[in-house]
Amino acid sequence: MLQQCISAEWIKLRRSYLWIVMMSLPLVSVCIGCANFAMNQGVLKNEWYSLWSQVSLFYGEFFFPILIAICSAYLCRLEHANRNWNMIMTAPVSVGSLFIAKVAVISVLLLLVQGFFFILYVAGGMLIGLQADLPPELPGWLFRGWIAAVAIGVLQLALSVRIRSFAAPVGIGLCMTFLGLGMYVMNLGLIFPHSLLTAGMGVLSQEGLGLGSSFLFYVMNLLYIVVISAGVMYRMRSTDVVS
Amino acid sequence: MIHAIRLEFYKLRRRFLFGMTVLFVCVELIWALMAANMSFARNPDRVGWEPVIAMLTSLNGLFLPILSAIVVSRICDMEHKGNTWKLLLTCSMKRERLYAAKYICACAIMLSVCAMQGLVIAAFGTVQGITQSVPGFLLARFMLGTMVASMAILALQQWLSMVVKNQAFALCLGMLGGFAGLVGDLFPAAVRKLLVWSYYSGLSPIAQNYTGNELQFYVRNLSDSLPEVGGLMVVAMAIYLAGRFFASRQEV
Repeated sequence: MLQQCISAEWIKLRRSYLWIVMMSLPLVSVCIGCANFAMNQGVLKNEWYSLWSQVSLFYGEFFFPILIAICSAYLCRLEHANRNWNMIMTAPVSVGSLFIAKVAVISVLLLLVQGFFFILYVAGGMLIGLQADLPPELPGWLFRGWIAAVAIGVLQLALSVRIRSFAAPVGIGLCMTFLGLGMYVMNLGLIFPHSLLTAGMGVLSQEGLGLGSSFLFYVMNLLYIVVISAGVMYRMRSTDVVS
Repeated sequence: MIHAIRLEFYKLRRRFLFGMTVLFVCVELIWALMAANMSFARNPDRVGWEPVIAMLTSLNGLFLPILSAIVVSRICDMEHKGNTWKLLLTCSMKRERLYAAKYICACAIMLSVCAMQGLVIAAFGTVQGITQSVPGFLLARFMLGTMVASMAILALQQWLSMVVKNQAFALCLGMLGGFAGLVGDLFPAAVRKLLVWSYYSGLSPIAQNYTGNELQFYVRNLSDSLPEVGGLMVVAMAIYLAGRFFASRQEV
């Protein structure tokens, strides 16, 4: 049942040209980050680490959360059009499968975006002419970034399932991005999804999370994913759709 | 025409668009005013209106293109989503008039945002105890520059939101525009002039410059800014007319 739902989600994404959005936002942030790094090499002497601080700043703080919001809103767009919620809720599949399929698809999409960002980062560094080896923390930054992105994706899906408008969840997501930045600055980074992304990807500090912080990071993300998903599924089961 | 504009506002009832706009602007204002407050605490000799206005113009470059994209997308998407284009056209509503009504509606929302920012700056400065009186002329110039830049961006966003049903692209453009607005000052002048999003800081009455390690604020001459304001208004009109032309000839 779940597999069929996932297949249906992929079919809905065909010819959506969502890949243009998925590629353009990381591309712009890496280009600007690399240009800034190349122009300030006198100050930024830490090779790959300095490059990461430049490219991940705009990507992790602004572009990636908005990209997640846009992808999540897109995954619910078809359901909100033409009274499709009525049709989809009468399909012989469980509500849980419907939502988990969306979570699975957004997770794969975000993994692809992270992979593309990794390729751009390495290509950018090589074009600039960095000689050192890649930082050993890089897989951790990317993986933790993906985990936090999935948590944000679930939160955005919850908003997009509830709100018919395409733009409103994106706007709310942007406000949460700034709230997350504020919470990170106030050392409350491990309790809010958007600041978990900042902490996990090492956007503002590349020192890495300690053992305790890493544990808390994974627990908080898991908690957000499970609790929000359970809440959305409960609501979909118990409340009538509005089309 | 007045009727068409009133109908646009009527359609926005209970859509929480105004609430979301206020929420969005509040986030921006809190950020800007907190930054200004911290700057004043560190440098008490620099307390004045100029840093507050300059801080808000920099943040406008990031926030307002995204807000414009959201506002326009919501105004246009309701017609796409509700399949109401045919219905509207059978009510003998000309497409050009509908396009204009939507544009004026979006402009009115952004105008209220500019007014809100102007009032909050005045209130903040008064509460902070800035010794100079409220600079009405500077605030009027700030609001004019912000509004003209927003008009050009709204025209561009409306063109995209009307022509392309998938609003992901309009929001992506808004996001890229926000980025261009934020880093626009770092580009060479020739490139900066081509980016409509960079005019939030370009038309600001306050300019910033580093002299040594010190950040200095100075008031731009009005005579230098006016041709840019006029030029951007012409560009906004050209984008609006081009968008209206293409949107009106599109098959429903």
